[in-house]
Amino acid sequence: MSSVTAPPGTAPPAARAARPLWRRARRVLMFVLSMALIAAVWEGYKAVGPQNGGDVLGWKILPRAKDSIMPHISDIYSRFGDPINRASDETVLSVVLKGVWFSFRLVLAGFAMGLVAGVLLAVLMTRLRVAERAILPYLVISQTVPLIALAPLVATWGGKVEIAGWEWPRWLTASVLGAFLTFFPIAVGTLRGLQSPHPSALELMDSLASPWHRTLFKLRFPAAVPYLVPALKLGAAGAVIGVVVSEISTGLRGGIGRLVTEFGQKATSDPAIVYTAVIGASVLGLAMACLVALADALFMRNRPKETEA
Amino acid sequence: MSAVEVTGVDKIFNAGKVAQVDALVGIDLVVEPGEFVSLIGPSGCGKSTLLRLIANLTEPSAGSITVNGKPAKQSRLDQDYGMAFQQAGLFEWRTVAKNIELPLELKGWDRAKRRARAREMLQLVKLPDFADHMPWQLSGGMQQRVAIARALAAHPPLLLMDEPFGALDEMTREHMQAELLRICAQTNTTVIFVTHSIPEAVYLSTRVVVMSPRPGRITDVIHVPLGAGRDDETRETGGFFEKITEVREALRGAELGGGVRGVEDR
Repeated sequence: MSSVTAPPGTAPPAARAARPLWRRARRVLMFVLSMALIAAVWEGYKAVGPQNGGDVLGWKILPRAKDSIMPHISDIYSRFGDPINRASDETVLSVVLKGVWFSFRLVLAGFAMGLVAGVLLAVLMTRLRVAERAILPYLVISQTVPLIALAPLVATWGGKVEIAGWEWPRWLTASVLGAFLTFFPIAVGTLRGLQSPHPSALELMDSLASPWHRTLFKLRFPAAVPYLVPALKLGAAGAVIGVVVSEISTGLRGGIGRLVTEFGQKATSDPAIVYTAVIGASVLGLAMACLVALADALFMRNRPKETEA
Repeated sequence: MSAVEVTGVDKIFNAGKVAQVDALVGIDLVVEPGEFVSLIGPSGCGKSTLLRLIANLTEPSAGSITVNGKPAKQSRLDQDYGMAFQQAGLFEWRTVAKNIELPLELKGWDRAKRRARAREMLQLVKLPDFADHMPWQLSGGMQQRVAIARALAAHPPLLLMDEPFGALDEMTREHMQAELLRICAQTNTTVIFVTHSIPEAVYLSTRVVVMSPRPGRITDVIHVPLGAGRDDETRETGGFFEKITEVREALRGAELGGGVRGVEDR
């Protein structure tokens, strides 16, 4: 492992782990720069691109650069501040933010359900080798079912559920489909992580007469953390996709998925508004990515840097 | 009461199949309290398997094993021994002190008692300032010391070691050997020690058990009467070299004759 020899009285671990400030600043700068670059490419294409699209070697692939298809960035920006329609005082920004917040809660619920289901499945597969062989292939197959086909089915099944007066709320369908895309990467990543301890580490726990569940919590789970972090990233992206797609597919009102279709219908008369919903959807994805990054920093503090790879 | 009694033990892997391996055949070995016994032999002679049988990490195919007068399984459940492996195997998410506390946590000790014992063990292995360091901030030799501290944290009467210094450089290795002898004398621990290295076995042991492969068996037991209080000068005495030659010849005989010299226990 490491050949680092810390002489007596060196700084405590926390001080060594702190990342230099300039590195963080550089990250923020890179983010701003990349946003500016995207804006520049967008406007640059609008300036030189063909107004009605174009052919390359006979293939119609160049997008139309006219304002009704690719509005100016300034127009999209100012559209956020305008009222949603003539009959209302509410701005587009407020509508989009409400939609993002609505969907964000569904994504969180779906992500949580998927996380619990994925980890439980991984534990079950670790405990019983038979279960791993029996379950894993079905997990893989489950991910090939198209979400669009699944969403109405879950909505129908959910409509029939009624337990002691509790009825299946409509939003739960979207969360369940988010969970459906979340649990798979989490189950696979956690399984790998739970199986990652060196055989001698497991023998050590055996030699200490540690029962299976204590080995799970004292060795297997901590060892799985570096494997869980990338799985959480995939799972978070899956939760966002699952929720947004099922909002669209089941016509659930209130979320950003619904806004994407609603605004899409106004595209001919109001091209800029389409992009406000799209930007809203990516803000939703960014919010989840930030949450996972936060979890990463929290879990991986005090870990050797080698295991991050 | 003997520390360890191995009687008529066989260990056969894949019994009855094409891939059958007779890992150990007819093993008899008695280790008395306070002894330091090394198991030496070429790869595949079953020395690690024998250690793992004593630790009850695997069950014998025939014969019986007692540790501290109890069946091996009961001794494992009672944490009657500590164990150290070639990889220090420290948990990288735990501080050095927390690593040492692991066996005590499993025994259900309370926090204050665990902290106090961890501090005591760090004094013993001469790493008192490293309690709150993470394992990856330590050198290989220091990590192995922490592993020994962990193995001895519950003050077990027996220490089982599987090539614990195999991954260390020669200088660190000799230093660790001297430290191990000091620690065992200080804590009155019986040790069974698996190694490839002849000088290591001779320097550390009161008895060296020589083993041969296919099938694994004990071919020789060599007493090393170099006395207690061995130090670096012991390594340069005539008696030390004589014993090295004796072990080397026993190993060569074991390899050529496969047990012609007969089993000579105790």
